Amino acid sequence: MTPRHDGRPIFMVLADQIADDILQGNYPVDSAVPSTNELAAFYRINPATAGKALGRLVDQGVLARRRGIGTFVAADGPEILREERRKAFNEDFIRPAVAEAQRLGLSLDDMVALIRKDTP
Amino acid sequence: MSSQTLQADHRTGTPWDTGQQGIRIRNLNKSFGKKHVLKDVTVDFAPHRVHGLLGANGVGKTTLMSVILNHTFRSSGEILIDGEDPRENAKVLERTCFIHEDQKFHDDDTPASLLRILPTFYPNWDAQLAERLASRFQLPMGTRAVKLSRGQRSALVIVIALSSRAPYTFMDEPYLGLDPGHRALFYEEFARAMAEHPRTVILSTHLIDEVSDLLENVVMLEDGRVTVDADIDHARDSAFVLRGLEPVVRELAGGRRILREHRLGNILSVTVDGTATDGDHRRAHEANVSVEPVTLQELVAARGMRGADNADRGL
Repeated sequence: MTPRHDGRPIFMVLADQIADDILQGNYPVDSAVPSTNELAAFYRINPATAGKALGRLVDQGVLARRRGIGTFVAADGPEILREERRKAFNEDFIRPAVAEAQRLGLSLDDMVALIRKDTP
Repeated sequence: MSSQTLQADHRTGTPWDTGQQGIRIRNLNKSFGKKHVLKDVTVDFAPHRVHGLLGANGVGKTTLMSVILNHTFRSSGEILIDGEDPRENAKVLERTCFIHEDQKFHDDDTPASLLRILPTFYPNWDAQLAERLASRFQLPMGTRAVKLSRGQRSALVIVIALSSRAPYTFMDEPYLGLDPGHRALFYEEFARAMAEHPRTVILSTHLIDEVSDLLENVVMLEDGRVTVDADIDHARDSAFVLRGLEPVVRELAGGRRILREHRLGNILSVTVDGTATDGDHRRAHEANVSVEPVTLQELVAARGMRGADNADRGL
């Protein structure tokens, strides 16, 4: 159940996981995300860590707290996440793919062909 | 304390916990005869946090806990809980709970009788929680404690520790006897208990990777001394692993202290004491050496084994 680490602080891993769920529509706009306590018990992590993960998404404007009720997906939450991930796309996906292509001797044309094949 | 008061507390927070100042330890020493177990220990356990007290066997973890609680007399030094000396101080000690797997019970104690009598000793006792936990851990309520299996004894002391809701809860290797399923249950209930009623917990364990997501602070003991006292993420940064061809790895490690090394064919993997710099990352990348973070478990093993090596050499 515990989110994977890959050396990053656990609160960032958890924030990404919640972000994934928002992008996949598992938490639609205006719906409540789990509380700090629910996240802590579910993932068996320190409540402070769970709170930090939610706090990060609140700071980004992805989530909004409603006092005494809970934390909800903000209207432009999904768009903020998409914009952030577009910015990181090169670093996160293109560069590692290019590095691996070089190790394997794949040319740019080979890569483009592979991308075309997998693009519906 | 009536159950109504407890329920009110459940909604409004934890009035008993407010004003917790944590535990302050200065220059603490403890010797057993000629054996100097705690050496000038200076450390603070901040309130409302979960502290992992980590280290190899025999470094003094249990001694530190029992000296803080005055179950064992200190040789010298200062200990303050909420600003008060715990020695002969009932007011302070009733804010504490100390459990370990080898807890001694009387011959006729049963889980049922203990859960009836313990609220007398713990002012914050949560009877509803105790009942729920006892049922989730499937504690045989009528069986004499001395007849319980190791796993059941672990479960019993865990039920006691979480239900006590003591502002200062000490757990010394509380769950070695539990199977993986019941350990997962413990982690879940522990996280929930901390979320609903924050308290200061000092937990020692060897199952470090399993529990590390529950810890906020790490205090590592090596040979009776505190060598790491840090936020968990900083503690993980206090060492790193270099992996690659031996000569290059050795060169990159430079003059720094190597905590541990492993060899697999031509590949050498070393755990280096210290934080990897940007320069380390750059040079490692150029030399085809990978820089990897350590898990907390690896860190404790690396430091712990070093301590054991020193002990073997009589240092």
